[in-house]
Amino acid sequence: MSDALFRNEPVSSTPYVADGVSISLAAPLKRYSLRARTAEALETVLNVKVPQKIGATEGGIACLGPDEWLLRTPAEAAMPTGAGLPVAITDISERSICLVLEGPRAAELLMTGCPLDLDNFAVGRATRTIYETVEIIIIREGADRFHVEVWRSFAAWLWTAFTAAASH
Amino acid sequence: MILIHCPYCDEKRPEIEFANAGQAHVARPLDPSSQSDEEWEAYLFIRANPRGRHHERWRHVHGCGRFFNAVRDTVTDKFETTYKAGEPRR
Amino acid sequence: MSGYRLENGGRIDRNRPVEFRFDGHSYQGFAGDTLASALLANGVSLFGRSFKYHRPRGIMAAGSEEPNALISVDRGAGRFTPNLRATSVEIHAGLNAFSQNRWPSLKRDFGAINDRLGMFFPAGFYNKTFMWPRSFWEKLYEPAIRKMAGLGDAPTQEDPDIYASTYAHCDLLIVGAGPAGIDAALEAMGSNKRIILIDEQDELGGGALADPALWPWLERSRKALTDASNVTILTRTTAFGYYHDNFIGAVQRLTDHMPDNSDSPREKLWRVRAGEVVLAQGAIERPLVFDGNDTPGVMLSSAAKVFANRYGAAVGKSVALMTAHDSGWHDVFALAKAGVGIKAIIDVRTEVSSALLDEANRLGINVHLNHSVTGVNGRHRVTSIQICNNDDYLGARIDCDTLLMAGGWTPSVHLWSHSKGSLAWRDEIGAYVPDQPNENVRCVGACSGGWDFGSGVIVDMLPTPKDQSRIKAFVDFQNDVTAKDIKLAVREGFRSIEHIKRYTTNGMATDQGKTSNLNGLQIASTALAKPVTDIGLTSFRPPYTPQTFGALAGHAKGALFQPTRTTNIDGWAAENGAVFELVAQWRRARYFPKMGEDMHAAVNRECVAVRSSVGIFDASTLGKIEVVGPDAAEFLNRMYTNPWKALEPGRCRYGLLLKEDGFITDDGVSARLAPDRFHLTTTTGGAARVLNMMEDYLQTEWPDLDVWLTSTTEQYAVIALQGPNARKLLEPLVEGIDLSADAFPHMAIREGTICGIPTRLFRVSFTGELGFEINVPTAYGRAVWEQLMAEGAKFDITPYGTEAMHVLRAEKGFIIVGQDTDGTITPFDAGLDWAVGKKKPDFVGKRSMARPDIVAPGRKQLVGLLTDDPNVVLEEGAQIVADPRQPIPMTMIGHVTSSYWSETLGRSIAFALVAGGHEMMGGTLHIPMPGKTHEAKVSGMVFYDAEGARLHV
Repeated sequence: MSDALFRNEPVSSTPYVADGVSISLAAPLKRYSLRARTAEALETVLNVKVPQKIGATEGGIACLGPDEWLLRTPAEAAMPTGAGLPVAITDISERSICLVLEGPRAAELLMTGCPLDLDNFAVGRATRTIYETVEIIIIREGADRFHVEVWRSFAAWLWTAFTAAASH
Repeated sequence: MILIHCPYCDEKRPEIEFANAGQAHVARPLDPSSQSDEEWEAYLFIRANPRGRHHERWRHVHGCGRFFNAVRDTVTDKFETTYKAGEPRR
Repeated sequence: MSGYRLENGGRIDRNRPVEFRFDGHSYQGFAGDTLASALLANGVSLFGRSFKYHRPRGIMAAGSEEPNALISVDRGAGRFTPNLRATSVEIHAGLNAFSQNRWPSLKRDFGAINDRLGMFFPAGFYNKTFMWPRSFWEKLYEPAIRKMAGLGDAPTQEDPDIYASTYAHCDLLIVGAGPAGIDAALEAMGSNKRIILIDEQDELGGGALADPALWPWLERSRKALTDASNVTILTRTTAFGYYHDNFIGAVQRLTDHMPDNSDSPREKLWRVRAGEVVLAQGAIERPLVFDGNDTPGVMLSSAAKVFANRYGAAVGKSVALMTAHDSGWHDVFALAKAGVGIKAIIDVRTEVSSALLDEANRLGINVHLNHSVTGVNGRHRVTSIQICNNDDYLGARIDCDTLLMAGGWTPSVHLWSHSKGSLAWRDEIGAYVPDQPNENVRCVGACSGGWDFGSGVIVDMLPTPKDQSRIKAFVDFQNDVTAKDIKLAVREGFRSIEHIKRYTTNGMATDQGKTSNLNGLQIASTALAKPVTDIGLTSFRPPYTPQTFGALAGHAKGALFQPTRTTNIDGWAAENGAVFELVAQWRRARYFPKMGEDMHAAVNRECVAVRSSVGIFDASTLGKIEVVGPDAAEFLNRMYTNPWKALEPGRCRYGLLLKEDGFITDDGVSARLAPDRFHLTTTTGGAARVLNMMEDYLQTEWPDLDVWLTSTTEQYAVIALQGPNARKLLEPLVEGIDLSADAFPHMAIREGTICGIPTRLFRVSFTGELGFEINVPTAYGRAVWEQLMAEGAKFDITPYGTEAMHVLRAEKGFIIVGQDTDGTITPFDAGLDWAVGKKKPDFVGKRSMARPDIVAPGRKQLVGLLTDDPNVVLEEGAQIVADPRQPIPMTMIGHVTSSYWSETLGRSIAFALVAGGHEMMGGTLHIPMPGKTHEAKVSGMVFYDAEGARLHV
């Protein structure tokens, strides 16, 4: 049985296209929660550059907190487990899905329920925040392109909220 | 909706990203079994309820996830300062 | 002049007539009219009945401060909006508006009897009168008062409209687009600031809209601001509340002014965060207080000017002015020039400037200085007024159809006050003006007290020779509060304006005292013989004007009311007829009825299937936390009551979590995957709470521990496979795991694949049967479930829901935290002593187990209950007594926490919390329920397979 048949996604795979913005489900990603006291501790284990500053992203790794990073990668690369080391690497690939908001009204759509000032949210920045009552992680991929990570069980609600807001 | 300065993110963020976590600087005794009933009662239940300057804990739960300390005026609802957990009382 | 429509002037479009309806009658107005201006132009003077006395009322103002002319608009099924101000409703084709608070009709109103009985309705009347007898309140007083009281009718159908909502950020927010607000915007426009300009009216201009000389400037300004890319103009938008840190709530009305209902949002809620706020809300003219000042045809003089100059509507054909302020003179001069007949100017002052007198003389207007209006004749419209000299009370009658009032001006400090800015009293204008700001905000224009309306005097009431106790001189028109009521409150001992306000209800109506607060304050000041500043000022509170619930709710209704969390398997459950229930925010399958089954039958069948063959259950909602790091075991050892350090990788353990006060807060089975990696489970409802609690201890009490917590609740779909055939079903689907009893004992975890999908396979049981919980990455949950259903057909696999799960676990004596415990239950109370590590020096909650209250005898303890009649299923929550013959009220010693019919046992079973229950084994307790008091024997909690033979197979 193919993976496409086996997977069951909480939202439609057909993008929703409205005036000035489209909402689509990103392809499946591998996701890891990376935890350590310092970026250096993770760099030693992963052998890649890890951003230092909260909000910064580098090579698919977003710094979400002083000891928390999110690695998102399309590749099926083998991850070290960090066994025995003062780090925590946890597979959270299927914890969330990613909705892609794209178009000149992408920021406007997100601001319908997200209280952050996205005019002052630079490309490349990532943060955990909230849309109305639902926790999300936003990653600004471009001026007109946001990735919105949301836990699976909230995804259908968020999709409905986004499409309702985009249709207005 | 108040803006709260998160000392870890080092920026002001909207209140709905945060959760209040009660009075600050109430440390768990290192050896609870050595506590008298009165001492343990004080640790568990006795809290300040000042009019004015109040030390309290907040968590940037929908942000960086960290608990931190704050001094808030309970009359005006204004934050005087926020600082990281473990830093001395301000 | 045809009727009351002026030949020329106004901003209405005379080429676009508009038909609309009011109280069932058709009228014609023009595009640009409000309901008020269009009806005035049609000669309508009566707009509604007052709140308490049902007195006839007309238009008093021209803007959103209007207290009298509250109307309802019906836009079709479910689209009924009461209590709109006729002065703010724009007419459009098909507008269907109604007056309020009258029955059977506006002109003949039954409730007007209240006006005749007015002497019986003083301030505090309801508080004083309807106290006794107490029993009359619910049955008689309240229904009767409810029928008579209130403003418009509440809508009865669901609102089909949609409402939008957004956050917005700007560097400068300007509230009010009159000349002062526009100037502020023009001034800031050249910077790179993001500017939002808000105004409640349909076009920019504010007061300038009633001043044709300013229209060319207004048009130039409007164009400049519209063209500026950094300026967002929001008209028909009311900034209703000013909150902390320059957060302003505003509602934009998008479609109500349009002829047809559309699919687009009716209103939009703007949640604006501004760097700086400029308030340019203007000022509101103050009515004068005298007998009959609420008669239809008595209105503010500034409003008459607005109706003439902005809407081309004359408020009357022979108009008199009662004034205490120069601005009234200027208004009637403007009216005279617009073609409105001016009968007389009556000024309470003894002197006014010669310029005013000269202009009045030039226009041929009679002037009466040092005079006051002492009475108004006419019921549905003014027919004449009585005036008298303030010194000798010599009087005269003046025939007129309209009386204008000019009592001075009140700066609109509502939003300023919301923001907690302080106010300063200015004696010369008799008003409070903004003083010290509490946010980054400033006031400009009339709302700061800066205006060029001229000067005036402030009078609390106009002088009158009449008996003050027999006149109706209104202060708060919407709540029907008279000067007499305020004086009565003072006589009865009220001193603070906050108390006077609540006793009289002055300023407490939907208009928030816009036209009444300052007059009320002046009257109280005189009555108390104290300066106004010693009496205080009541607080203004949001909303500035009433807003719809729809706008405040925004998207949060229907499917978007609040998130309903669903599992990956939810779709299968829905397609297969599951009946759902909400658990925390999760939608869970409660049972899967087959054709013709009720819940009872379905649950019985599901339970039997699990005990006899195999059942399948979606347990994905269980909270899961991955605990990783060198100190993981040490951390869990400190958190949970039982020891964790010696748990071998590959094994599971039941964990009991207390709060520091010693009471059970959560439980769950957790597995050690590796020396430094644990897979914790929590209750469905406790997931977020437990993670927060653990983070709290880790971050703030034990920051030295090298361990990190990650929620993995949603990483895994969890399928519980329970029953004697569970292993046989699983074996052909699983690779890389030896499922045999020896290799994979109860309370163990193995990693491998199922149907080719990686799995963390738990051998655990919440049913007492041989059981597995299959964790697979969430996206694959449904596919694996369907494979199990297909493969399980030969075992007659039965999906079961939360209800059967509850019965099965109760048969085995397993508790549900939050159902069988209530936040005051210790492990000992719950009979879980075995889960507490006696040798551990410390864990969260340990010290509290020695608290005096917790070691005291007589605590409520969890026990089993078996009814004497096995067919009786006790009610959950039913109270328990030791002796049913004791007098009422009986001493209740506990309650039933869980109670079910057990098909397996052929009888009912129950758990109960009973004071001293552990000492009562075998004893009889009594449970009064509707109809009968039942007897039950206290028992242990394990009703089925006490030795666990079915588990270890």
